[in-house]
Amino acid sequence: MAELRLTMTTEARTVLTDLLRLIAPAAARVTVNRAHVPATDPEIAGFWVETLTAQAAEEARLLAVAFAGAKGDPAVIVLPNEAQAHAFLRALSAVRLALRDLVFADVTDAQLENAEDLDDATLPTEQRHALACYACFGLLQQSLIAQLCPEAFD
Amino acid sequence: MAKPKLKPEIKTESLVSAAPRWNVVVLNDPINYQAYVVLAFMNVLRLGAAEAKRLMRVIHAEGRATVWTGGRERAEMLSLELQQWHLNSLLEQDG
Repeated sequence: MAELRLTMTTEARTVLTDLLRLIAPAAARVTVNRAHVPATDPEIAGFWVETLTAQAAEEARLLAVAFAGAKGDPAVIVLPNEAQAHAFLRALSAVRLALRDLVFADVTDAQLENAEDLDDATLPTEQRHALACYACFGLLQQSLIAQLCPEAFD
Repeated sequence: MAKPKLKPEIKTESLVSAAPRWNVVVLNDPINYQAYVVLAFMNVLRLGAAEAKRLMRVIHAEGRATVWTGGRERAEMLSLELQQWHLNSLLEQDG
């Protein structure tokens, strides 16, 4: 498979990069806390926590490198192969989950599933900003999936 | 003189019980897009797009679906892999 590309405005790149610096350290914690780790076997549970923690660290690194390397106007992130694209997709999912847990904790699941219907004026500025970034990360995911596997869409 | 052949009386009884089976269950979540979930199923469970979409729709409609059933070790591995895709998966003993 040829390399995959994600394009965004330089302004979006700057805003998303700034948010990632803030949220990435917490994303690892959210990932491990959310996991349904088997409680019956301490050895297995330890392995799961170790695996998920290591993956979260790798995802944070991948995102930081990708956004820092997105040069030009518009800014372009280049993912050299399918494995990197999958890792990038998972990393974006981790960030969205962290935003959900840490920033939108008081927003219901139903509201979040229809995020475009949320009345911006009712949200504090920080939440509005984070919601815009949450949507942008989602758009990047959709764009990447459309390139990787168009049949995944209905 | 040939000795008479003794026919030992052998009784057999099956003492083997089937190993417990485990379900890998995925719960609905409002964060991951449907296409993302389909892609995760295609990669982790090695499903075709049609079956992956069918499971995704069940989860969306009913809140959860069993996506795989079988031995414990494999179920644990698949559940961990699904969680590495940040899906809300868990293990349940079948039956």
